[in-house]
Amino acid sequence: MYEPQRLHPAAILEFLIGNLYNLFKSLLPFIIVVFGQTDLRKGFLIVLPLILLLYIFYIIIYWLRYVYYIQDEELHLEYGIFVKKKRYINFGRVQTVQISSGIIQRLFGLVKLQVETAGGGDKAELILPAVSKKRAEELRDILESKRSLKAQKFQETEKEEEEEEPAKIFRLSTRDLLLLASTSNSIGVILAGFFAIFSQLDEIFPGLNIWEIIKTYINELAGKTITVILLIVLAIFLLAWTLSLLENFLKFGGFELRREENNIKINQGITEKKQLTIPIKKIQAIRVVENVLRKPFGMVSIQVVSLSNVGAKGEASVLFPIIPQNKVQEFLELVLPEFAIPLETNPLPLRARPRYIIINLIPAMLGTILAIYYSPYGLFAFLLWPLAIGLGIIQYRDAGFNIQNNKLLLSSRTLGKVTTIVPRQRIQSLAVSNSYFQLKRKLTTLRVAIASGEIAASKKLVGMDKEECARISKWYSEFSYSP
Amino acid sequence: MDFLDTISGHQIDKKAISYWRLSGLLGSVLYWLIPLAYYGALRLWNLPSWILYIIIVLVLLLTLLEITVIPNILWKTWRYDVSKHQLELYHGIFTKYRTLIPMVRIQHVDTVQGPLMRHFGLSTVTVTTAAGEHEIPALADEVAAELREKISVLARVVEEDV
Repeated sequence: MYEPQRLHPAAILEFLIGNLYNLFKSLLPFIIVVFGQTDLRKGFLIVLPLILLLYIFYIIIYWLRYVYYIQDEELHLEYGIFVKKKRYINFGRVQTVQISSGIIQRLFGLVKLQVETAGGGDKAELILPAVSKKRAEELRDILESKRSLKAQKFQETEKEEEEEEPAKIFRLSTRDLLLLASTSNSIGVILAGFFAIFSQLDEIFPGLNIWEIIKTYINELAGKTITVILLIVLAIFLLAWTLSLLENFLKFGGFELRREENNIKINQGITEKKQLTIPIKKIQAIRVVENVLRKPFGMVSIQVVSLSNVGAKGEASVLFPIIPQNKVQEFLELVLPEFAIPLETNPLPLRARPRYIIINLIPAMLGTILAIYYSPYGLFAFLLWPLAIGLGIIQYRDAGFNIQNNKLLLSSRTLGKVTTIVPRQRIQSLAVSNSYFQLKRKLTTLRVAIASGEIAASKKLVGMDKEECARISKWYSEFSYSP
Repeated sequence: MDFLDTISGHQIDKKAISYWRLSGLLGSVLYWLIPLAYYGALRLWNLPSWILYIIIVLVLLLTLLEITVIPNILWKTWRYDVSKHQLELYHGIFTKYRTLIPMVRIQHVDTVQGPLMRHFGLSTVTVTTAAGEHEIPALADEVAAELREKISVLARVVEEDV
């Protein structure tokens, strides 16, 4: 165990098959091209076994160099032929140890061991594709015994906090539910669905010739007045919109969110009931998101950023689908006091504004040049300029930050405004940068990295005052001195 | 004193310059495919040939930059600093970055060495947090190993969830 160990030779098979599939996928276009030409095909059939042989040889060496061992409370893995990699995983960092067996492993009576830390990505940080069952269990016991100490410690602290106030419940009012359903963006999706069904019909009933029917129908229509056509288009949109409304009504109907000691529980759905439990300690950050359609009603949605496996993708990120803007503060204080912070922000210095305007104006200018060059009505593109400038000014106005105790709030807007709240201990790393243009103006860009299941959920704020940025990074550093 | 201009901490290995020169030279082979492709297109269709000369000049300039000035500036601007509680990285040519990574947040440390780097006896140290990776490029093998060891020890002292 403490000496470098190789995997069971069956791992060669596992590597071979796993990599062969990838290799085939990437070479597929090439193979198709080669097979298209008769004279090339013969040569290819001769070369192919050679390549395969070379490849098997490569995998065997890869296996020979794939070793693992335990040293100083760390699991070490070394591998790679051309690029040598060494990976050390400290026992305390291990999140899950998974033992599984696929077809290859079962043939040889082996198992696959996967060790995951909180690092991002969908692949486990350390994979031992073929080890004996006994060895895997040994390793798991070693890894988990070190971890359980920590888990116990955690439980103790949790108990102390237990005797707290009763659960807090937030529901969705019917008015809000209707507003949510009617402003959901799935109209486009449903329209696309219509087209998909049309084209499928074409394939299922080849005799039907759906496009032909539509064409004659449109030809017929063309003879009629323009109002009729408009009415039909309108009717289709209305139908799509009604369907979308219904779909979202069923999905979010009966929405109820309650805070229990260490979890948030969400119930939703009318036909298909869904329950979701989000452990508070898995929440990395909270986002208050403004949707352009719902902005006029003063409504926003609240999302969570968390480390995967909270639920299905997309849905899991919505904590509260629609809430009046002026209620957000109250909601956070009641349900998530860990993330409550005044939502008013400190503005950016005025000298940061030109950048926000220019960044929007440049595409508008380029678009105008192209439009004038290619279209007789190109001059209308000048109308984009005030729009771009306006957007820039609004983006500047809505960018800001706030710090309170150990929480940081950053808000910015591309089209909809997004406000991110992250506690200091949830910021994985913090980067301050200044570009060549910012240098003279004493401006900086602040970027905080937040852990999340899939995409990097980092948040940045462009054009902060240098001193303010220094203050924030000092605030962040101090935390690491006094955890 | 300005906190972004403060250049303190360790520099990366001076051999990094030679390494970047060589890798830049090898990498620039890819740029030369552009004029080649345009030359091919020129023979097939009737396109202005002066564009070819412009492309060649630009690619030549880029190649020269990659093997002369850029490696030097990169080396000059890179700094890293390890304290008991955090890792600090400074780098960047036009945009300067200063990154703070608390030891508590570090999940694991790797050293990576490609064939070119091995030739120079250099390794890259990669630090992974739950939100992604950070690199300290081109350190001498022994320095990299030592740094990996050091960070690994410091990162394990404080145990905390995520």
